[in-house]
Amino acid sequence: MRIFLVLFCLAIANAQVKFDSVVLSGLEARAIGPAVMSGRVTAIEAQANDPRIVWVGAASGGVWKSTNAGTSFKPVFDKYVQSIGAIAIDPKQADTVWVGTGESNVRNSVSIGAGLYKTTDGGQTWALVGLEKVERISKIVIDPKNPEVVYVACPGALWSQSSERGLYKTTDGGKSWEKILYVDENTGCADVAIDPQEPNVVYASMWQFRRKGWFFTSGGPGSGLYKSTDGGKSWKKLTAGLPEGELGRIAIAVAPSRPSTVYANVEARQTALYRSDDMGENWKRVNSSLNVMARPFYFSFLAVDPKDHRKVYKLGLTLGVSRDGGESFFNIAGETHTDHHALWIDPNNTSFMYLGTDGGVYKSYDGGQTWSMLRNLPVSQFYRVWYDLATPYNVYGGLQDNGTWTGPSRSFGGIKNKEWKNVGYGDGFYSFPDPTDPDIVYSEYQGGRLLRYHRATGEIKHISPATKINEPKLRFNWNTPFQPSRSSPGTIYLGSQYLFASTDKGESWVRLSPDLTTNDPEKQRQEESGGLTIDNSAAENHCTIYAISDSPKDPQVIWTGSDDGLVQITRDGGKTWQNVTANIPGLEQNSWVSSIEASSHDPATAYVTFDRHTFGDMKPYVYRTTDYGKTWQSIVTDDIKGFAHVIREDLVNPELLFLGTELGLYVSIDGGTSWARFTSKFPEMVPVRDLAIHPREHDLIIATHGRGIYIVDDISVLRQLKGITEKSLHIFSSRPSIVQLPVFEQEFPGSDEFVGATLPEMAYITYYLRERHLMGEFKVEILDSEGKVVSTLPGSKRKGINRVGWPMRLKPPRVAQARSSSLEGGLVFGPTVAEGLYTVRITRASEVAEGVIELVPDSKLPHSASDRKLRHETVMQLYELQGKLAYIADAVELARKQAEDRSQKLTTELKKRAESLVGRLDQLHKSLVATKEGLITGEERLRERIITLYQSVMSYGGRPSSSQLEQLDTLQKEVVAARAEFGQLLRSIEEMNSALRAKKIEPIEVLTEEAWLQQQQ
Amino acid sequence: MKRFSVMLMLFAFCLTISAQTVDEIVEKNIAAHGGLEKIKAVKSMMITGKSLLQGIEVPTVIKIKRPNMVRLEMSLQGNEIVQAYDGTTGWQIMPFMGTKEPQKLSAEELESIKDQADIDGELVDYKEKGHKVELVGKEELDGSPVYKLKLTKKSGETSYIYIDAESHLEIKQTSSQSFQGNKLEVDSYFSDYKEVNGLVLPHAIEQKVGGNTMMQMKVNKYELNVDLSDSIFKMPTGK
Repeated sequence: MRIFLVLFCLAIANAQVKFDSVVLSGLEARAIGPAVMSGRVTAIEAQANDPRIVWVGAASGGVWKSTNAGTSFKPVFDKYVQSIGAIAIDPKQADTVWVGTGESNVRNSVSIGAGLYKTTDGGQTWALVGLEKVERISKIVIDPKNPEVVYVACPGALWSQSSERGLYKTTDGGKSWEKILYVDENTGCADVAIDPQEPNVVYASMWQFRRKGWFFTSGGPGSGLYKSTDGGKSWKKLTAGLPEGELGRIAIAVAPSRPSTVYANVEARQTALYRSDDMGENWKRVNSSLNVMARPFYFSFLAVDPKDHRKVYKLGLTLGVSRDGGESFFNIAGETHTDHHALWIDPNNTSFMYLGTDGGVYKSYDGGQTWSMLRNLPVSQFYRVWYDLATPYNVYGGLQDNGTWTGPSRSFGGIKNKEWKNVGYGDGFYSFPDPTDPDIVYSEYQGGRLLRYHRATGEIKHISPATKINEPKLRFNWNTPFQPSRSSPGTIYLGSQYLFASTDKGESWVRLSPDLTTNDPEKQRQEESGGLTIDNSAAENHCTIYAISDSPKDPQVIWTGSDDGLVQITRDGGKTWQNVTANIPGLEQNSWVSSIEASSHDPATAYVTFDRHTFGDMKPYVYRTTDYGKTWQSIVTDDIKGFAHVIREDLVNPELLFLGTELGLYVSIDGGTSWARFTSKFPEMVPVRDLAIHPREHDLIIATHGRGIYIVDDISVLRQLKGITEKSLHIFSSRPSIVQLPVFEQEFPGSDEFVGATLPEMAYITYYLRERHLMGEFKVEILDSEGKVVSTLPGSKRKGINRVGWPMRLKPPRVAQARSSSLEGGLVFGPTVAEGLYTVRITRASEVAEGVIELVPDSKLPHSASDRKLRHETVMQLYELQGKLAYIADAVELARKQAEDRSQKLTTELKKRAESLVGRLDQLHKSLVATKEGLITGEERLRERIITLYQSVMSYGGRPSSSQLEQLDTLQKEVVAARAEFGQLLRSIEEMNSALRAKKIEPIEVLTEEAWLQQQQ
Repeated sequence: MKRFSVMLMLFAFCLTISAQTVDEIVEKNIAAHGGLEKIKAVKSMMITGKSLLQGIEVPTVIKIKRPNMVRLEMSLQGNEIVQAYDGTTGWQIMPFMGTKEPQKLSAEELESIKDQADIDGELVDYKEKGHKVELVGKEELDGSPVYKLKLTKKSGETSYIYIDAESHLEIKQTSSQSFQGNKLEVDSYFSDYKEVNGLVLPHAIEQKVGGNTMMQMKVNKYELNVDLSDSIFKMPTGK
């Protein structure tokens, strides 16, 4: 037994470091937003007794909570799936909140859920309480009289048949569930409502619906409106007054102030709003205006004013309101983003509302006449991301229903909403700058409509290719590939069913291929798509090219992949094409090619991801070929969750791969043999739609579909990770750090806008620890070229990668003890250190490792090396001058205090001499430092004048002005003079001390500079 | 029969390695720090070090004396910030708030400083102090196996303590602290444990809020049983 135990311990001691999230966790992502536009919001619930506490659920951006009526929000659901369908607050326990995952506005790009969650501590911790397999949840209704009773409407799977759908009920707070209403595998429950006065009266709408990659059907024989009067034990189908024939999606609302009035928005051949005034027994058609009829599968939310049963809101393209029981509607909220999905009305003050749209959350204090947008929800749904080579570089990307934007990757004090610029409209996808003309930004909107934006004038030119006479219509995907060539700057590629190229900025296009899709006519019936309500928005366009990648190694090699499953390659610039799909093992036909990445290192190597979720298969498919597509290897492991959207190979190390799926970001450092999920400061299950690696900054730029853009700074450390994971301590080499200067802006924006995280004004030092450091000394020292330690940092001590920031500054200047208590901002920081190479030395108990970091000037600043040097020297002179002055002032003050003390002990002539000495010391001290107590004394003495000059010289990166240099000279002379005066006073002190000694009184001790420096350490 | 008893022994053996009770963990934690006797022998303590606050280095001294006295000093630009508690009154001098006059601490701030006056730490004699400690479980903290303990203090405040399963020293403590009227969840990480006169004490403490580092303190030295006058802990009466 003892032997077994020893073996067991040995096994543990020798366990290899597993490449996992923990190893990566010290490498953090930063969210740059934006929130200038937001994203689709699907659920809003506020606390009835305190509407400042509001919960927002986003389509694929998680759950956000505000405690200040939306002035600021915090994400509270970052560890879970980000697609939110419904939220409900327990009416008796406000800290108990239910969140149903899986959005039910089932557009083509909709994400997936993973069950029903519940918190009992206001969102700090969550528990999965069931319904893991239903995929989507559209409504959660809590019995107001007994909150243990909860009804959950589950439309269920969108892309496949499933019996995991219908209306579910718990009577024990979520411990157990019963499916209380079910029709068939194609029909789910779209909505549920209960009578607030008689909670056993339940209304539910059943909905038959199905989406395919190329077709959508809403409606069928399974749909219908049901009522139960016994809490769901038995049901009656409601038909009296409702339309005959097949029905589609139905939204239900019971009037809280008079529950016998019930409204239903019914999708049918003639979609209309119906009202019942007898608890659903008989219905009357009341309205079929545009907003009532619009896109029922997408807009299915009705709300009745809590105090007025005749006031009803229909959410649609905009917000429709009726004051006469639904007979007539007028539209309000014209200045909000279109496409409304969620509305919360304060039951105590019904003119206060929160509204959720495709572009974020708005609130109104006047019943919807005016609205404020909450500019702090970065739930933007990016499809694609690109970058430029400006300093700092900008990112570009298109969003679901929110156009195309560009914004900076870093900005002093954080990346603000106002720094983002709109460069395209509609649903945005690909966008990129012209490589030769910085004025031009390309973008597109849904269905391959191409735009060329001119920054200087704001003009937009439409640059789509023409359909040639006697040729088939061009077919463009919703999310059409449109991108610059990786090998030939100036060439742009575009995919319809054909591959196109333009070399004249989109003015004309050359076709480079035959039809590279299956051209299956069965999958081109989008004009008939939608079911009961035709809905042809380009979202179902199919048999189109979806991915293009040209080899950076060989401009003749171009890959395409289509939404209907074909992978094709040309090796002669488009003259001949080869369909290599059949060579891919273990893959069903017609699997959607979601991305292709031609290797940056080898023209024969490429990576392909396939997305089969439109067939109900949520598994990832990722392959690599190293022989132009003749053979393929799967590089998927069980660690990867969610269907795959994008793969990127590192620009330097071909074994470093990044994979984005519907459920997160994954990293491999061994060419796809093992994968780790990226989780640090990143919502770990957010859909990742696109990735880019910045070639100059080595940043990973992440386009999330639901949480905006994230950046992982300097991933070059990941290139070095393989092979060192067994080392107990290792310092990575990293990119040079820019010595940044603060940029000032006089602005006081309050707290109500999102500010994106920027790169701090620090040099990153990145290192690896095999185990967490716990015992013994640990420090990170930075040494200058002479081997002098300029800074010591406590460091970070986690297992795996650690990253710490060094502010690139010396210690703050030594400052004279002041009597005033105002904090001198300029003195909190030391001067920035000189550019150049620095040694990093990490000490961990008995182990020491060394590395190098390089500090470089900000290339944005135009100053010459000699001007920068003069600035640095001037700052350093002022830094030292401040120290010299500090010594004199402190020594004078100390002597003064002693002289004052001694004078109390003396009499007659000697006392007078001592008092005179005190006076002279005090006078000198008052000329050196401000001595009045208080916050704003305006007193400026030598100390304050040096501070002012120190600050002002430091704030500019180049040559100090002649006046500043002259001022330095003046101040230096004044300090010399002060020193001389102090020297004279020292003689008087010595004379005084002789007299004191004669009287056996303790002499005045003068602080020496050495002793003072010792104190300062 | 014999085989059965071996099995039983094996089973029992497994149990003892897997199921440590709260008191065993607390006992081992105290032993890891040097043992109860040595902890109790400390009558006063002076900790000298540096705090790093958003890139700014601030010399810091903490003085603690039994029973329940603590004084924290930080100096910035020749001005001294003081927070202290003498067992009954908590007070502070915050010169950068515009006055060098001592001010009384708010009730919430008082609770936070009281904890720091306890030389032993919360786990020593926790029952006598009226605290409750539960073992939440053995789990992984950033890749390290830890025991997660839930501490419910006499005041009702709760916090979580993560004890390294190997060394039995604290790695992390999560507690809710008051800061300018707001409640914040603060994660404190302890490391750089070194022996000081037979006691094993952390020489680095990092505090994070929402994953962002707010403060790091590096201890240069612990001085034990130094002479500290009671008067330095008392709130000075006006000039």
